Amino acid sequence: MEARKDLKLSNVTMRFNGFVAVDDLNLEVKAGELRCLIGPNGAGKTTTLDIICGKAKATSGEIRLGDTVLNHLEEHEIARIGIGRKFQVPSVFRQLTVRENLLVAHSRQPGVLRNALRFRRGEDTEGLDKLAELVGLRDHLHRLAGHLSHGQTQWLEIALLLAQDPKLILMDEPTAGMTTQETRKTAELFNRLKGNRTLIVVEHDMAFVKEIAEVISVMHQGKLLAQGTVAQIERDPAVKEAYLGSGGISDA
Amino acid sequence: MLTRNSRQIVIYSLFCAAILALPLFVQDAFLLNKSARYLVLGILAMALSLSWGYGGILNLGQATSFGLGSYCMAMALKLRTVPVHTGAEGLPDFMVWNNVETLPWFWVPFHSMPFALAAGILVPALLAGLLAWFMFRGRVTGVYVAIITLAFLVVVNLLIIDQQRFTGGFNGITDLAQLELFGFEFDAYGASSYYLIAVTLTICLFAALLVTKSKAGLILQAIRDHENRVRYFGYDVAGYKIFAMTVSAAIAGVAGMLYTVVMEFASPTFLNVPLSLSVVIWCAVGGRQSLLGSVFGAILIAGMQGALSESEVFLDTWTLVMGLVFVLVVLFLPQGLAGAGHRLLDRLFAPRKADVARGSPQGVMAPPSS
Ligand SMILES: Nc1ncnc2c1ncn2[C@@H]1O[C@H](COP(=O)(O)OP(=O)(O)OP(=O)(O)O)[C@@H](O)[C@H]1O
Ligand SMILES: [Mg+2]
Repeated sequence: MEARKDLKLSNVTMRFNGFVAVDDLNLEVKAGELRCLIGPNGAGKTTTLDIICGKAKATSGEIRLGDTVLNHLEEHEIARIGIGRKFQVPSVFRQLTVRENLLVAHSRQPGVLRNALRFRRGEDTEGLDKLAELVGLRDHLHRLAGHLSHGQTQWLEIALLLAQDPKLILMDEPTAGMTTQETRKTAELFNRLKGNRTLIVVEHDMAFVKEIAEVISVMHQGKLLAQGTVAQIERDPAVKEAYLGSGGISDA
Repeated sequence: MLTRNSRQIVIYSLFCAAILALPLFVQDAFLLNKSARYLVLGILAMALSLSWGYGGILNLGQATSFGLGSYCMAMALKLRTVPVHTGAEGLPDFMVWNNVETLPWFWVPFHSMPFALAAGILVPALLAGLLAWFMFRGRVTGVYVAIITLAFLVVVNLLIIDQQRFTGGFNGITDLAQLELFGFEFDAYGASSYYLIAVTLTICLFAALLVTKSKAGLILQAIRDHENRVRYFGYDVAGYKIFAMTVSAAIAGVAGMLYTVVMEFASPTFLNVPLSLSVVIWCAVGGRQSLLGSVFGAILIAGMQGALSESEVFLDTWTLVMGLVFVLVVLFLPQGLAGAGHRLLDRLFAPRKADVARGSPQGVMAPPSS
């Protein structure tokens, strides 16, 4: 049996010129799990994802996926191990069409010379068209990504991650800027993705979190504050305290 | 209705057919030589379009590769003039004047024409590849790439001028033999050289087109658009940029070799700053995201310069005219002439809906038609 690729962060600390954004964080996410990561603004959620995908290098601590230590790998090496990232600010290739975006994301073979000799862009695109369909962009395949609405751009980036097909997907606020209806569709999509891969979803929208969550981790001031089911988290006095002043957890 | 791709191939083919047919209408040797020169500069601009237009790498030192290619060819042709322009020991004349006693080791292999041809491609390619390796492994981007490549050009230029004993210094390498390949003689003022250049341009153009159509070409465009995003899909961005700069330098090296053939000498001015900056302007005017657009931009601007410089009055104002053209194009035609032509064609041939969406001013992703 293949070794289970659990994600494990041990005593991870991230310091920016003395400011501690992530403080001695321990976090474990089992393969196949969908984990929601919540916390007030500035809690260090985005920074945590940055550390996992190599965008930021942890000041100390260890990050592992299965047996592989990620600390000193470059971004593209981490991606090749099977980690995909969706950014808080939607990041797609705005000057390329939707279909070309998907082709770039489909990166099973990332080598330069091999790709210099690959032409039939039509090949292998059936799966990509299906993906576009899944996120409602089937009719926009030939549009420039820069011309999509905000919600569509979010979905395109989600589709890009599915085209990349990593084992672990890191989602930073996937529903930010989406309409209620779009958010509901996204929740449906995430529920379908469960089980096939590991997902870490950072999200402020508690209604959305409740729709998809299995286990929730709460961060506050760079630390893991609480962890548990929706009901457990909502009862937790420490969590209530942390969200004090921001109008309570449901409005966070 | 032609698809965008086939329309592009039709236009590229028409252009190549036109330049290949030119000698049927132009018999004047001087004019033919001039046209050949402009085509060579077109190849040089196309090389930059590949790295700048597609990969977003603003290489201000493109003339380095061009000049090195040109010197490789000149060295080989110089050695073919034995014994007319050489000393008793088969030394090039300028070495004799500089009291060099034996042929330097790095000149020796240039007795072989195949070696010279390979060197004219590989030396620029390897040097550019090495420079790219240092820059892109170190994550140098944007304006710093422009500064470093420009500085590199200046260093190579000064080195060549300084090493007069081996390079001919300011004068360059002059009094060359004619190129002979496969039993053909290529007279700089004859149709043979013109054809050699037109055919090479055609081959380079379609080879470069193939690169842009490959998946690597698409990834380069993605890098131009959003470099960091590409990394998180598992692509080694530095590798792709090194690839683009190396291929671009190889093509520029080919152009340099041909330039020596039509000019009949090699000179430090083939790798100086003004020429290198001109290449950027040609690409901007023609449309840097279009290979053919860049070729066209080079022919147009260099042709205009050639025509104007025949009258004394305009020679002084040339720099001014050029600067003005550049500013106007940047302001009003961000995709250059190719972008404008492309939009015009889209309008003429009532396009499919999908194409309209792409032809919008936001930017044209695929190489605009031309
Ligand atoms: N590059 C950086 N340099 C300095 N400080 C930073 C940097 N990146 C993040 N920080 C700080 O680290 C803290 C955590 O930021 P982070 O973006 O991880 O929070 P977050 O939990 O994602 O918040 P939000 O919910 O607002 O997105 C913030 O106070 C932020 O200002
Ligand atoms: Mg954040």
